[in-house]
Amino acid sequence: MPRFLHTADWQIGRQYARFAPEDALALAEARLSAVERLADIAHQEAVDAVLVAGDVFDAQTVSDRTIRRLFNAMGAYAGPWVLIPGNHDAALAESVWTRARRLGAVAANVHLALSAQVMAFPERGFAVLPAPLTQRQTAADETAWFDHAVTAPGLVRVGLAHGSVQGVLAEGIDSPNPIAADRAGRAALDYLALGDWHGTRRIDARTWYSGTPEQDRFKANDPGNVLLVDIPAAGAEPKVEVRAVGRHPWIELEESLAVASDLERTIARLQALPELAVVDLSLAGELHLLGRQQLEAALSVAEARFRSLRTDLSRLRLQPTEDDLAALHADGYVGRVIAELREEQEGGNAELAREAMAILAALLLETRGQGETA
Amino acid sequence: MRLLRLKVEQLRRFRQPVEIRDLDAGINLFTGPNESGKSTLVRAIRAAFFERYKSSSVEDLQPWGDSAAAPTVELEFEWQGKRWKLVKSFLKRKRCDVSVDGVAFSGEEAEDKLADLLGFEFPGRGASRPEHWGIPGLLWIEQGAGHEIHKPVEHAGSHLKSVLGSSLGEVTSSAGDALIARITKERARLLTATGRPTGDFATALEAHERLEREHADLQGRIRQYRQQVDRLGQLRDEQARDDGERIWEAYRQQARAAEVRLVEVLAWQREQERDQQALQVCQASVRTSLDLLGRFEAQRKDLHKRAADRDVAAQALAAQEARRPAVERALADARTAFEAARVAVRLAREQQQRKDLARELEQADAELAGLDQALARARELHEALLRQRGLRQTLHIDAKALARLRKAEDELARLAIRQEAVATRLQFDLREPGAVTLAGEPLHGQGERLLLEPAEIVLGQLGSLRILPGGDDIADLVRKRQGLDDDRASLLSVLGVASLAAADIRHEQCRELDGTIRRDESVLESLAPEGLEALAGRRQLKQARREELARLIAALPEPQQGGLSVSRAEVQLDGAGESLKAAEAAEAGFRSALLLATQALESARSEWSRLDGELQGADRRQHEKLAAEQLLELRANENRLEQALRERQKQIDLANPGVLRQDVERFTRSADAAEKAAEQRRLELERLKASLEALGAEGLEERSAELDVELARAVRRKDELGRRAGALDLLLVRLTDHRLQLTRQLQAPLQRHLNRYLQLLFPEASLSVDEALVPEILVRQGLDGEERGRFAELSFGAREQMGLISRLAYADLLREAGRPTLIILDDALVHSDVERLGNMKRVLFDAAQRHQILLFSCHPDSWRDLGVAPRDVAGLGMPAAPSP
Repeated sequence: MPRFLHTADWQIGRQYARFAPEDALALAEARLSAVERLADIAHQEAVDAVLVAGDVFDAQTVSDRTIRRLFNAMGAYAGPWVLIPGNHDAALAESVWTRARRLGAVAANVHLALSAQVMAFPERGFAVLPAPLTQRQTAADETAWFDHAVTAPGLVRVGLAHGSVQGVLAEGIDSPNPIAADRAGRAALDYLALGDWHGTRRIDARTWYSGTPEQDRFKANDPGNVLLVDIPAAGAEPKVEVRAVGRHPWIELEESLAVASDLERTIARLQALPELAVVDLSLAGELHLLGRQQLEAALSVAEARFRSLRTDLSRLRLQPTEDDLAALHADGYVGRVIAELREEQEGGNAELAREAMAILAALLLETRGQGETA
Repeated sequence: MRLLRLKVEQLRRFRQPVEIRDLDAGINLFTGPNESGKSTLVRAIRAAFFERYKSSSVEDLQPWGDSAAAPTVELEFEWQGKRWKLVKSFLKRKRCDVSVDGVAFSGEEAEDKLADLLGFEFPGRGASRPEHWGIPGLLWIEQGAGHEIHKPVEHAGSHLKSVLGSSLGEVTSSAGDALIARITKERARLLTATGRPTGDFATALEAHERLEREHADLQGRIRQYRQQVDRLGQLRDEQARDDGERIWEAYRQQARAAEVRLVEVLAWQREQERDQQALQVCQASVRTSLDLLGRFEAQRKDLHKRAADRDVAAQALAAQEARRPAVERALADARTAFEAARVAVRLAREQQQRKDLARELEQADAELAGLDQALARARELHEALLRQRGLRQTLHIDAKALARLRKAEDELARLAIRQEAVATRLQFDLREPGAVTLAGEPLHGQGERLLLEPAEIVLGQLGSLRILPGGDDIADLVRKRQGLDDDRASLLSVLGVASLAAADIRHEQCRELDGTIRRDESVLESLAPEGLEALAGRRQLKQARREELARLIAALPEPQQGGLSVSRAEVQLDGAGESLKAAEAAEAGFRSALLLATQALESARSEWSRLDGELQGADRRQHEKLAAEQLLELRANENRLEQALRERQKQIDLANPGVLRQDVERFTRSADAAEKAAEQRRLELERLKASLEALGAEGLEERSAELDVELARAVRRKDELGRRAGALDLLLVRLTDHRLQLTRQLQAPLQRHLNRYLQLLFPEASLSVDEALVPEILVRQGLDGEERGRFAELSFGAREQMGLISRLAYADLLREAGRPTLIILDDALVHSDVERLGNMKRVLFDAAQRHQILLFSCHPDSWRDLGVAPRDVAGLGMPAAPSP
């Protein structure tokens, strides 16, 4: 009986402003390659259809090239793909979908559900009830029509919608488009495939959010998966397998440095993170000058390992020790300036003082290095 | 540090050993002429410290032509209670030995010990040069180099700073200046000197701004795109709705229906207008008939009125006639009364005239009498005057001649007196009368004679005496008297008098007569101003008048008793006149009233008869009847028309043609508008579609997202560089500040010492030092206030003085820091004038309280008052020099 691949929130065309351009580009590319992997899985698992629950595109006006590349990426699976528009790519009078059609990019096996009409696939034993978003935001439950939708008897009824299930997902949903929590039951659906929530989430036995296949934000809500859904027979409870497909886990690391061993622990943790991860490291606390050198060396190594490494050292104070000062020959009035800056790292001028301290330390270290080599 | 002993051997001028002992703790003055060896001693001391014993660059130490010599210097000094002894030999016997309180050092170790103690360095190779001399280079002044301070201080710099620094408990930053230079360089990459962004920072800011602009622009276009999409959706919805309803067709149908109805109503309105006109004609006819009938009625009423008028006029005439006899009687009475009054007045006036004439006659009689009297008197006066005037003519005397006569008399009198005065006085007293004669005149008794001319006195018998009065005057006087006598005589004859008295009397008579004549003339004048004839004429006229009056009176009737006065009679006449006038007026009024009444009656009668004739005609009756019938018919027609009009108007009002017309217009326009809107929408849809397709192909949002990436990077870069620039700025400010602070701290004690010496030279002056502790600016109190001079611009002499003062100040500082000081001056202050030199001696003497000073000079006289005995260098080389 029918077997589906349930996915959503591809957000093709998404860019990542917070990263360096080369990282941002790679992450954008990663979303397309995720779709390629989905097509491969669909093909290998011989599913009856791939259900994409909205937000296929991140925006309406992505470039023609991006549109073509997406549909090309789906090429590995020749079975039916059913796509509905989400809030990012709503089926407006003019939309990314109408453009895709004009471009002739949409293959025959790709079904764009741009209106609320039953799409029956009798030869495969199921009918899709789509709830496409035709506005960017709507206050009405677009799935309401499922309750009265008639499908041929014996066909598995699969709902496909994009929005927030009322009363369940209170936070983090970027769309007010509501979906009744008991829709699957009321509309006698065998399965309700949902999109919008970027993490994988089970609402009830028949209602799931697949989440995005490739993580795109620092939120540990189990993203990066696709759902393999088996429905043994119409009316039978579906079997859902969660399969990981994401390449780039997004990891936030916050560390506080107080004693010397803290730095070593932090470096060790950093080294333990998976490769290709997108890492956001923020450090707070105090660090002496030589420790800072050590930290910078470790960060330089880590940067090469990860897809992206961002570090926030704005809450990290440089605290030169007496040893530091002696080592740097920071005597006399230079020593006094260092002492002043050390104090000021706490005050209203903290940011500037910290930066000044870092520059001063770097220059002194450099001078010392020259002194030693000379 | 105190140098105790110096011994020199085989060194330049001193081939034989020369030793100087018992050096004073203060000033030691070495004098001697040029070439006597002063400079050799100085060179020996310098070599002992500065030159490596191994050095082969010290051939100048050898005595001239003696290449086998081993120049040797031996020094002993005391420092911090320890006795140091240095023996150094060069060239032929290279050796250095130092013992400190008996502890011996040798070779380079010994040399380095000395260098550490005094603060100088040795050259890597070759002879020691100024840059190696350190602190001694500053304190040991070579000949002619006293004015140069900058270099020596620079060479001593590091020693000075470390010495001074430690004295302040401070450690300068060894890396500070390099760091500042580095930070300045780094800062200059991001900020200009004035703090404006430059280089990468400026580029980053520009890039950020550019991206912001691009971003805003793109956002605007995305907004526009979205609005267009929304518009497209809206238009499509509208199109779908309108295409289904085809609303304009319904409008057209409604317009047609309204038009049909409107045509019907317009026909009603035309009928209404027709009837309205008929009604107006009918109403006009009714008005005409009513007018006619009304006229007939009015004429009837007029006839009645005219009959009444006629009767009234007849009565009025009768009443007038009745008044006639009374009026006429009254008139006659009035005329009679008036005539009587007129006669009375004439009589009264004649009486009055007679009375007046009688009174004039009386007056004329009186006047006539007065005139007769005046005439008689005037004639009398006239006669008298004629007589007096004749008399006056006879008595006339010339007043001027009289005056001359009087004057001649006076002159004669005066001459007589003078003659008497000058005359010879002859007095006599003769007892015998007549015996004696004078000029023939017998003299007797007592008497006196005045003699004016020779006279002969006959003395009878006795003979005669001739007396000749003396003097010329006598003769002159006699001549004058004779002249005067002649004048008098002639005048008297002219006047016709015998003497002056007679003339006076006549003159008086003349005056009296003149008075009488004048009086009489005036009386006559008053009586007959125009002459006697005129007066007589007047009397005649008066006489004639009197006679006329008498005649007039006679012509008038005699007065009667009881006659009225004129005024009374006139009053009565006036009253009668008034009465007559009133009576006449009353009579005239009566006549005209009578005439009027007669005429009124006549006209009333004719009016009545004319109207009566008209009304009594047969046509007239027929006419009236016809008019009444016509009116009835017209009334009926009018009612009918009005009824029809009212009912039709109700119909029209109900249909409301105005609104119908508006409906037609409204529906037609609505249909047009709807069709036009549909067409426009179709066009807009096409336009929008084309525009959206074009915009969509641009991939606006994807580009925007890409731009966001770039923008975020630009912001990060801008912020980073901004932060770095700020931090560098902060660092630079801080480091510079601290460095400056430290320098100030270092300068302060030096400044203090400098100023202390300076006060001895220039009161109230100060010398500032720069960062390198080199004297920089001298500030003095001149005549015109403060004078500032840079050290380098001072005169040679002043520079030398300042240089020495500065060196002494450094020495003080070094001493305070617990370092050894020894001051050597080779031929110093040769360019100072006497006064300055005097002051500088005070400075030196003061410094010598704390430092040992070796002063070499070829001018012993200049230094005689330094308070020490000079040592003659020339005598040192002498073998006789004793050594204890």
